[in-house]
Amino acid sequence: MKAIFRIRRYNPEKDKKPYWQEFTLEDVLPTDRVVELLHRIKWEQDGTLTFRRSCAHGVCGSDAMRINGVNLLACKVLVRTFARDDAEEVKIQVEPILGLPVLKDLIVDMEPFFSHYRAILPYLITSEPPPADGRERRQSPQERAIFDDTTKCILCACCTTSCPSFWANDSYVGPAAIVQAHRFIFDSRDQAADQRLNVLGAPDGAWRCRTIFNCTPACPREIKVTQAIGEVKLAIVRGVEHVRQQKIADLKETPAPEE
Amino acid sequence: MATLVTTVTEVLRYRGKIGQWSWVLHRVAGLGTLLFLIIHVIDTSWVYFAPAMYEEAIRIYQTPLFTLGEFILVACVVYHAFNGVRIIIFDFRPAWWEHQARAAQIVFLATIVVLVPTFILMAQHVVEFYGGGPIDPQIAPVVENVVIPFGGGMVVALLAGVALSAVVGAVTGNKGTPGPLLSQRSRLDQVMWSFMRLSGLALVPLALGHLAIMHVIEGVFAINASGTGSAADFVAARWVFIGWRIYDVLLLALALIHGFNGLRYVINDYTHNPTVRRGLNWTAFVACVAIIIVGAISLIGGVPGM
Repeated sequence: MKAIFRIRRYNPEKDKKPYWQEFTLEDVLPTDRVVELLHRIKWEQDGTLTFRRSCAHGVCGSDAMRINGVNLLACKVLVRTFARDDAEEVKIQVEPILGLPVLKDLIVDMEPFFSHYRAILPYLITSEPPPADGRERRQSPQERAIFDDTTKCILCACCTTSCPSFWANDSYVGPAAIVQAHRFIFDSRDQAADQRLNVLGAPDGAWRCRTIFNCTPACPREIKVTQAIGEVKLAIVRGVEHVRQQKIADLKETPAPEE
Repeated sequence: MATLVTTVTEVLRYRGKIGQWSWVLHRVAGLGTLLFLIIHVIDTSWVYFAPAMYEEAIRIYQTPLFTLGEFILVACVVYHAFNGVRIIIFDFRPAWWEHQARAAQIVFLATIVVLVPTFILMAQHVVEFYGGGPIDPQIAPVVENVVIPFGGGMVVALLAGVALSAVVGAVTGNKGTPGPLLSQRSRLDQVMWSFMRLSGLALVPLALGHLAIMHVIEGVFAINASGTGSAADFVAARWVFIGWRIYDVLLLALALIHGFNGLRYVINDYTHNPTVRRGLNWTAFVACVAIIIVGAISLIGGVPGM
């Protein structure tokens, strides 16, 4: 099939304002990924087209873009998502994710996003010495299950830049940072939940979440983002232990993961 | 303000799901209800402060402009109440989030199911009142008697808010809200988060009950017997029973604090200049306190000569 791309272009050295440019590709397969087609445009038609990608297989999280109106990883979305397999043509609109400064074409400055990430202390904090046998710090499968979902985050910023609260106010710490904080707050081996909840309990912390639920479908790793934010808010109001007990009760209702 | 424009255009452009539209409607309905609430508490307080003006206010409420507004108001309150319950449920049981889209659909559906018979009942009052006679739009008295004093009151609140904000700024040297790296847990935001949810739950029966009686069962035209009686007598008859006064005081305080705190959220989302933000927040605070005091005095004072 034929693919008609509409891409948001911006070169800070030449352009005063971003603009839309169209590209047409022939012989596109329904199983092609958008990132491959962007490569074809760059390699065959316009070498100045600029976008980030590293692994190109949905692991590194560097090619988050707004594709046909929703935040997606260009390397995880197939042409098939936007057209039937026997369609004559497919229209694909690509623009940078919103809320972070655009550097060039589809590349945004991720630094504000990462500074929010650093604000929630995304590393193990504990006064416990490492185990004497030199092996890992252990926890039960149940202790792990409580925060398992939020360990999957690859920091692609799809969730944060889908959030109207973040569009309105980029000092909001954002869904991704809250997900990362959740991962440590509910980890039985970590001892700094209070420090993180202080950051997230600030005016620009979790309170700016209005439960809009744009972040949850935006996540390419299918993390239950809004649920994690809800649990962090409850942890601030009612304590980490309350949420932990609630989660343990919920886990008992669902079949246990295989060990 | 620029980010307000961005948010409005991008909400239209981003293909968010039903939760995004629920949020937009929740905000618009909340702000609309707050606007009416402010006007309504002020005019009802005239029953104590200026009984003659109160009769006039009720007559203005019976003009076509406000009749249309009344339908919009009822829709806003009903939707805001139902969607508020949906938000509260997922706030306290985040793990149930999988049902949120279905819940949002149920909220829309329940709103329509409730509104259809409600609007039919309200329309009956309207038809009865206007009953065939020529409709006089009466815009002029609305402007003269409502818009001008109301606008004046807003300006006074704004000036008081800016003055207070300047004093607070000068005393504390507070330059506004710092970024997340520097910030500390906010007592205010934490308490208000819980308050919004608890007051919201309390307001569901309080506000819907009030609407059902005053706008649907009795109707705004019954207050002065379609212009043949005294609105003050109607209020007096109601306030004889102490239970109604307690009900009204609760509704007044909870709804105003809930509404103005909602306004604070909107201000904090879309204003970024720390001075402007602080000024607007203090304005909202002054207005909230002033309106609660005015409403409470008239509720306690009651109808003169009663």
